[in-house]
Amino acid sequence: MITGGIGWVVAVNLIIWTGLFLYLLRLGGRVRSLEAREAVEEGKRKP
Amino acid sequence: MKMGTLKTLFAWLLWLWMSAVIAGAFLWAPLAKGFIGESSRILFFHVPMAWVSFLAFIAAAVWSARYLWGGRQPRHDRAAAVAIELGLLFGVLATVTGALWARVMWGAYWNWDPRQTSILISLLFYAAYLALRSGLDDENTRGRLAAAYALLGMVVTPFLFWVVPRITYSLHPDPVVNSQGKVNMESRMQIVLYASGLGFIALFFWIHNLQCRLQAHSERRAALQE
Repeated sequence: MITGGIGWVVAVNLIIWTGLFLYLLRLGGRVRSLEAREAVEEGKRKP
Repeated sequence: MKMGTLKTLFAWLLWLWMSAVIAGAFLWAPLAKGFIGESSRILFFHVPMAWVSFLAFIAAAVWSARYLWGGRQPRHDRAAAVAIELGLLFGVLATVTGALWARVMWGAYWNWDPRQTSILISLLFYAAYLALRSGLDDENTRGRLAAAYALLGMVVTPFLFWVVPRITYSLHPDPVVNSQGKVNMESRMQIVLYASGLGFIALFFWIHNLQCRLQAHSERRAALQE
């Protein structure tokens, strides 16, 4: 049985961790797309 | 399976892992004896953060050695600098969580306890590394001096993190492995603590990888614009 106070602490910690996780996941996607775009530009520059 | 899909899968596994650690830390692990209220639960986050900080500083020294004796490749210099930035971040978080715990147990956030003082000195030492880097414009000189400084940390960091807490009298609870080489901790607490440590280490390498790739991208961009 989860008592009131500790339940809230767990919930807040999970929300913070999920927020950080989603931010990192999104950042990873952006880095991948930046690298992909860079590779395309690199390909165009090569004769 | 594609590499990107595998990475995403690992990321979600990490989410699940750390969520289980959070739940385990507050709902499954018992309270440690001799601590006020629920304050001992901070151990599951404070200690792994200190471990990751130590690991980051040692990793920075290894990357610095590879930079100096491995063909002066900028990616090694970058990896060392990012590791130190993250080591500082985790070190500050460990210090803040330690101070919160000290407020509950000792009645004050800061007590100049040997443990608090030694981590503060190590953080200042690495803050000086960043100051040194920002003060040098030439890429080669910066890389060389910063790498030598980070290697010096290989002597300073183990001394401050491992030796000082074991040879001085401190109010701080025993390290996980105490001066007799024993672990005095209930088994469920140990499981959560080690799981948390692994999770934080994975988180460190994930952030490190992203930050290195972002910096490499901006450096290539800047080089193209010159």
